[in-house]
Amino acid sequence: MKKRHEQKLILLSIGLLVAFSIPISLLFNSEKEVFGYPMMLIYVFAIWMISIIISFVIVKKYDE
Amino acid sequence: MMSSFALFIIVLIYLALLFLVAHLAEKKKSKVWINNPYIYALSLAVYCTAWTYYGSIGVAATSGLNYLPIYIGPIMVIPAWIYINTRIVRISRVNKISSLADFISLRYGNSRSFSAIITIVCLLAIVPYIGLQIKAISETFHLVTETPMSKNILTDNATFVVVLIALFSSYYGTKYVDASEKRLGIISAIALESFLKLFFIIILGLFVIYYAFDGFSDIYEKASKFEDFKAKNTFNGIEGAMNWMVLCLISGTAICILPRQFHTAIIENRQEKHIKTAIWFFPLYLLIFTIFIFPIAWGGRLIFEGQNVNPEFYSILIPQHFDNTLITVFVFLGGLSSCISMIIISAITLSIMLSNNLIIPYGLLGKFKSENEVQNTRNITNIRKFSIFALIIMAFGFYKYFILKTSLDSVGLISFVVIGQLAPAFFGALFWRRGTYKGAVIGLLAGLAICYFGLIIPQYYFSYNQELKGVLREMYNAFDFFSISFLSKIPQIFFWSILVNTGLFTIISVSVKGNYRERNFAELYVDIDKYIQNHENAFIWRGTAYVSDIKNILERFLGKNKTEQALRIFNLKYSIDSQTETADSRFIKFSENLLAGRIGTASAKILIEGVTKEDKISLKEVLNILEESKENITLNKKLTEQSDELQKLSDDLRKANESLIIKDHQKDDFLDSVAHELRTPITAIRSAGEILADDDDIPLDIKREFLNNIITESDRLSEIINDILYLDKLEHGEIALNIQQNNILETYKKSVNPLLHLIQQKNIHLSEVNLLNQFIFEYDEARMIQLFQNILGNALKFTDDQGTIQTKLSETKNELTIKIFNTGKTIPEEDLEMIFDKFYQSKNQNILKPTGSGLGLAISKKIVQAQGGNIKAENSGLGVTFTITLPEKIKEIKNEVEHN
Repeated sequence: MKKRHEQKLILLSIGLLVAFSIPISLLFNSEKEVFGYPMMLIYVFAIWMISIIISFVIVKKYDE
Repeated sequence: MMSSFALFIIVLIYLALLFLVAHLAEKKKSKVWINNPYIYALSLAVYCTAWTYYGSIGVAATSGLNYLPIYIGPIMVIPAWIYINTRIVRISRVNKISSLADFISLRYGNSRSFSAIITIVCLLAIVPYIGLQIKAISETFHLVTETPMSKNILTDNATFVVVLIALFSSYYGTKYVDASEKRLGIISAIALESFLKLFFIIILGLFVIYYAFDGFSDIYEKASKFEDFKAKNTFNGIEGAMNWMVLCLISGTAICILPRQFHTAIIENRQEKHIKTAIWFFPLYLLIFTIFIFPIAWGGRLIFEGQNVNPEFYSILIPQHFDNTLITVFVFLGGLSSCISMIIISAITLSIMLSNNLIIPYGLLGKFKSENEVQNTRNITNIRKFSIFALIIMAFGFYKYFILKTSLDSVGLISFVVIGQLAPAFFGALFWRRGTYKGAVIGLLAGLAICYFGLIIPQYYFSYNQELKGVLREMYNAFDFFSISFLSKIPQIFFWSILVNTGLFTIISVSVKGNYRERNFAELYVDIDKYIQNHENAFIWRGTAYVSDIKNILERFLGKNKTEQALRIFNLKYSIDSQTETADSRFIKFSENLLAGRIGTASAKILIEGVTKEDKISLKEVLNILEESKENITLNKKLTEQSDELQKLSDDLRKANESLIIKDHQKDDFLDSVAHELRTPITAIRSAGEILADDDDIPLDIKREFLNNIITESDRLSEIINDILYLDKLEHGEIALNIQQNNILETYKKSVNPLLHLIQQKNIHLSEVNLLNQFIFEYDEARMIQLFQNILGNALKFTDDQGTIQTKLSETKNELTIKIFNTGKTIPEEDLEMIFDKFYQSKNQNILKPTGSGLGLAISKKIVQAQGGNIKAENSGLGVTFTITLPEKIKEIKNEVEHN
């Protein structure tokens, strides 16, 4: 894999670190519900799912 | 209700299945299905232990969101594996690293003491963790069979299960004396277990959601009536979020450094590209695992609210509550899988560390030096087997006396924090050249001390002795100042220990001058991409060493044959004469690598040091040499590129030269031919002229004949000269083509007409076959007529009387193809190409009086080429076929040529 595409994955790592840290994580720290479920859980699992999809796409697309 | 005996039989069958899988995988090593990236990715799920399987559910039910960090931490780090793990894998491969202790200690100067300290840290962290797994096995066994816990070791079923696991690990884990070898059998068994535990938790999740309750929303609706539900699914303000974040960081570090993760992700990595699959597959695995924790935990609380049950075992209690034995056993087996895989991998990797980094370098090296290969191999494997049993017994002791009362979750986290102490040295090794041995060791010891006093003593001492007394109490009070009110105990200790650890590591590293050896490895680690191809060159060593001495050592571990083989490979790789007596730095590193997998990197160094004499070398010198070798590598690259270029240039030149020589020859030949061709008619003219001049009495009719001869020969002469000039013009592109749309059939008719009476004379049958759909093509008509006449004239010359000439016109792929066939003498195969050369006929038909200039075919070829076409001759059947192909759109081609 080219260095540039490697760096995309490293950026994803940093992005996840930011997404699960204060203050971003606190934005979703609410008792409100989204789609009928606690906002925090939806947030965590959505980010998780998206990160899997992004990794998958990068790995498959730029595989050499 | 399940009887102990029946469950024990099920466990036995399950273990037998694992043995079978391991056995098959070892046997069919090269098969594709065993070599696929998913086995690697699944084996990483050894991360999910009993703590995940049972503990997380307990955490989710009692303290809400805090069950997530041990998964969130890893998924934050995993994408970066593309960089981190790829490099660690490369470093480990070129240095034959077989454990975490090897990896870190090699970077800090291949230090024996450091590797021993790391081994001890790992033991401290992991043995209680193994104890935790044994506890889980034992407790769930009694839970499923609904029997009371047994205090007696001999009647505790967990004892037997653990003994079987120890046997399995010691058999498959020590199959290869070289610890850096891949253990496919074990890894396949672990992958199967990872699959099974996921599968069983999915079954349980579906059971809880759809059988115990009416779907997910039913659980959710009922659970949200709990008073603490909302609080459990949000952070408790900034404090909660801070704690959560630190827990994420702890597990993020653990996923990289835990010895079992290092073993499966690095040591057992067979191909670098498998990491890529793991990057998306492993987070997906964790996601599926985690999604079911929420409904199981809250479903469990709904069912057992008010009863005194341990929420950690909801997953077994729920199916039991509904009297579903099958699912109870499934869940138990899933938990057993998580425990077994963790115990096996941890035991194996710790046994390698114990043997290679502690027992061998500190006790047995002297003994090894005097024994032969067979004995040494046996000793090494026995040490490892002994280590595995020792470890499991230690863990068992831990379980029996210290952690019987504590929860799965806290033991797991403590173990993560202790292992986290290796993080500064570990990541420093990858990214920081200047980190030193002293800084790393002092930082590590300080961090460890904080963990020990802050976590381990309170945790295990309390559970053993309940109360802190006397001096210890006062000491703890003195440190109260440092407690951080908004962090809970474990994040607090993690924060302080990592802060002190990293601080000491960095400050000492920058203030103390490093040792040359560690700087050498630092360069190799940080710049692994540069050195990957010839890493032996990156090892700097100066001194006196003899190949025979080193060979002697190697033979004691590898045996005679393998040593010879390895030496041959080495000599071949660096093109060294096999008679060379002195060993250079490359050979030293190569030999250390050969030994490293068997006895560890530190011991390998000590053994080789014993038979060599190393000269002192300063740090500055090492840096200079490394700088040079780095420059050399880039310079080499540049030089290779340049020499490639030069090679290409000289090839081009050579080709140009060759074609010039050929052209020169052709020119000579051509001049010869021209001279010859011109002389023939001139000779004839001259002799006729001479006769006419010398003899006045020639009869009139003979005189007239001579005069006629002179006229025809003069005509021929001027024809030849015209043709030569014409050909020359064609060759130099001086004749402009007049390309128009013309009807090819008409052009053909025009060409044939003048030849008709000759054809009739020879009684030749001329025919045309027309396969064209349309007749309008683009070409220069005058040239085309000339071409037809040349070819037909040539055909006429060689066709016997009453022969046949056939012209076939056809169209293929935007090309016009004209085939002219004539019966008669065939052309010798070797001459087929040459007939288009100038004066070809005259060379071969000298005896006969030549007709025509001998340039007809050469001119034809030039005409065809000028119009972008092709002409060739071939023998077919009873005669010769000339094939002319012309592109349909000549104009466009011509334009393109002009543009170029």
